[in-house]
Amino acid sequence: MSDTRTPDEPLHPLEQLPGDLMMWVLIISELLVFGAGLAAFLGVRITDPAGFAEAQDALHRTGAGINTLVLVTSGFFAALAVRMAEHGRRMATRAWLAAASALGVVFLVIKGLEFLDKARHGIGPDTHAFYTFYYLLTGFHAAHVVAGIVILGLVGIHCKPRTVEVGAAFWHMVDLVWVLLFPVIYLLR
Amino acid sequence: MGWLSDPLIRAWAWLIGLSAASTVLAAAVSAGWLAGTGVTIGGAAILTLAWAKAGVILSRYLGLAAAPFWHRGFSIVLALYAILLLALYLIG
Repeated sequence: MSDTRTPDEPLHPLEQLPGDLMMWVLIISELLVFGAGLAAFLGVRITDPAGFAEAQDALHRTGAGINTLVLVTSGFFAALAVRMAEHGRRMATRAWLAAASALGVVFLVIKGLEFLDKARHGIGPDTHAFYTFYYLLTGFHAAHVVAGIVILGLVGIHCKPRTVEVGAAFWHMVDLVWVLLFPVIYLLR
Repeated sequence: MGWLSDPLIRAWAWLIGLSAASTVLAAAVSAGWLAGTGVTIGGAAILTLAWAKAGVILSRYLGLAAAPFWHRGFSIVLALYAILLLALYLIG
């Protein structure tokens, strides 16, 4: 079937959407879950703002700040991988995907050290409502980082522009969640 | 500075700058440089910076800048969500 659209005719909204529609359904679903979690966190905070502020003081803001820089840079590398894939440069695509994944591993190491430190100080999910949300939201996010690294590896093997774009979109979603999660959990007083 | 004409590099530079600004603001609050209403204004500024960062990721990293219909929709929902978070923060 031939395309009857004239060159001046704007694209249908579904045709404008970059990447794969199902990936966007997944991205929106994930954003809704994390969005609800963060709103619930701030909702519960209303009942005990002093307790939440005190609990927050035990967090490593510097480590989390470094992790923000790590993740947004990793997202930049993933976006460069998409650009290279669109130009048919498979080796460069794989190199940028590997760099993005490596920074994902750095993020997990810093996050793991943070969890380890909390465990050493006897801080667990039951210590305070703040930590229940902290472990739930940052732990769930870290699980997405692990999934993202696996996905970037898989799209690196099947290195086609469409698959690289879809894999990178998942990685950007992980990035997007973190830039909202980091200030709400670690910074807001 | 020709490399700054690349929208991807510009987006990354913005994200780094906005993240650094958030961290500086949080450090100012933690160090007690801001007090009373200043803490609340600092918190509201941190949320505003988070909203700006999310907007950059959506438009540049996820490529919605090239899809005006979706960009508008996501921007409206994101703005409403940021207002919700801000309201919850200010109530607390």
